[in-house]
Amino acid sequence: MTTMPVSGVPAPARGSRPAPAGHSRDRRGSPVPAAGMIATKIMELRKRRGLMITLIVLDIGFPAVFYLIRLLGHAFAPRANPSAGSGQIFTFFAAGFLPTFGFIVAATVGCTAGSRDLTEGMFRHLVVTGRSRLALYLARIPAGLAIVASLVAIGYAIVCAVSVFAAPTFIDYNNVNIPPGLSRAEFGNWARDHAEPVVCSLPYSGQVPANLPCPLPWSKSAVTPSQPASAKLEALAVKIASQDYPGYTAIFRSPPDSLMIEAGLWIELEAIVTFTVGLGLASLMGQRTIPVILLFVFQIIVTPILSAVDIPTCRTCSARSSGWPWHAWNHPGCR
Amino acid sequence: MITSALPGASGELAAESRWAVETYGLTKRFGANIAVNGVELLVPRGSAFGYLGPNGAGKTTLIRVLLGLTRADAGTMSLLGYPVPRHRDAALARVGAIVDEPRFHPHLTGRQNLRLLAAAREPAARDRIGPALERVGLARRGDDRVSEYSMGMRQRLGVAACLLADPELLLLDEPMNGLDPAGMAEMRELILSMVAEGRTVVLSSHLLDEIERTCDAVAIVDHGSIIRQGPIAELLAGAQLALEVECSEPGRARGLLAGTTLGARVEAVPSALGLDMTLPAGAGRDVIAEINRVLVDGGISIYRLQPVQTSLESWFLQVTTRLGDPQ
Repeated sequence: MTTMPVSGVPAPARGSRPAPAGHSRDRRGSPVPAAGMIATKIMELRKRRGLMITLIVLDIGFPAVFYLIRLLGHAFAPRANPSAGSGQIFTFFAAGFLPTFGFIVAATVGCTAGSRDLTEGMFRHLVVTGRSRLALYLARIPAGLAIVASLVAIGYAIVCAVSVFAAPTFIDYNNVNIPPGLSRAEFGNWARDHAEPVVCSLPYSGQVPANLPCPLPWSKSAVTPSQPASAKLEALAVKIASQDYPGYTAIFRSPPDSLMIEAGLWIELEAIVTFTVGLGLASLMGQRTIPVILLFVFQIIVTPILSAVDIPTCRTCSARSSGWPWHAWNHPGCR
Repeated sequence: MITSALPGASGELAAESRWAVETYGLTKRFGANIAVNGVELLVPRGSAFGYLGPNGAGKTTLIRVLLGLTRADAGTMSLLGYPVPRHRDAALARVGAIVDEPRFHPHLTGRQNLRLLAAAREPAARDRIGPALERVGLARRGDDRVSEYSMGMRQRLGVAACLLADPELLLLDEPMNGLDPAGMAEMRELILSMVAEGRTVVLSSHLLDEIERTCDAVAIVDHGSIIRQGPIAELLAGAQLALEVECSEPGRARGLLAGTTLGARVEAVPSALGLDMTLPAGAGRDVIAEINRVLVDGGISIYRLQPVQTSLESWFLQVTTRLGDPQ
């Protein structure tokens, strides 16, 4: 390498500028992100309008529209349309829809938060502020989680609210009106008092006496006063009620508070884990597309395989319960 | 391996350091390619300093190393007297920088992008957003999305981002890139005004004319090494001097000069109107007078004899041409 002598030291400074008064040593070397960094990161994510609108439509709009249609349908034609809220619909959303869409929201926001500073060239501006890189990365976690957790929580709150406040006030099954929210014992008592409609209308997989007077005149009407019935018929009605109770609770009962809280926390936990993994992957790879694809592949292909693994301690319930609380709710023996 | 044993390492001494940027033996390799090769750079405080070199000379890499965007393989360095990377946070608190093309979140407005950057600085930085936008002429467009900005506006937003630090030192990497002539003039004025406030501006560029117009001192870099540095006036004083001679009989005039002692020192080539001469570095007015005397005594009519001030560009080409010479 050819080198040339340096001609000389540059000219002295014209006039050095004193350090500004506001320049005190702040804690920018600390790995703890400042509150302002988190707040502005939330703003940065929130202002991605296309992304936010898509995720809101997905996670909040869909259940909101679904329930709105059911509420309107029930309001205008209550006989033809069941109540908007029910345990069955709650289970559909809490066990299937919300975890899936919460996963999509979390993966997308996580990968966006993890990669966009780099791909849009903003990260180097942030690094040259002297702020710790770790703090810059860590600021993304609470910022992204604030958005993911809020979206998932709002969607879930809609489901819970409708499930509770629009729960059915009566149940019409084959023209038999059944009061909702009965315990197993209460359901049995009610069946004893309405033995003939129960025996004639509710499903039963056992042996039914051949001399039952079915169809009965009252089976075409609403609830009727208790009819005199034989002890044998009443016993059979209690037996049918006992057999149908899990189905009754699954279809007709509004979900209990403890279940809603537990299920909500599970959904949030899944979203948090997905967000964190997405954030980490995107930060490492410096891009959004590949980490999103990897997460979706994991969710669609790997997760079902892992879920199918038989864990001995859960063998009793493995066929019906994957650890999610609503399965235990529907199958009390697994609780 | 980087050591941080520079004098002025402590915070107390840092403010007293005479140099805004000091590097000693700074080296950065990318595999077999040496992007920064033992660079020894001294930038005085309060000056406008040009870091000049052709594309691929290692200008941006040096700035990235100084800012901690990439690690050095060897050497020591300090910014504003603070050794980096050991006291990088303290040093960068008072440094503003544009590295490569200034890019921002396109979906945010200019003001929102600055809020994002201010949040990573001290709390007072937030109060500087408005004045910074005002100063770079983006006050009215500050609430427009960056995706709607021209290249020149993004460059100015980059400068506004630098101003959030109320910086003592600005490291600007090719700030004139993509600017039209009016934009370049505005940027030049902006840089000069910041220097006038006592800030130090290091301007990395391959645009010799801009460096010459803007900077007091310059370092010439090529293939990762600094080949010259110093005040521009001093450097140019050591450059060869050109002389345009309009005369009769250029061929005979050339022969006359070759027959004297001047012939060994003066290179003369015929031109359309006479001779173009190159005088040795440091040649004074007496050499010009001697040329005039020899030609007049030889019966040559002199119509015009004009020394041509060496520009930074021609000097740069002289230096780099010599570098390219195998001798």
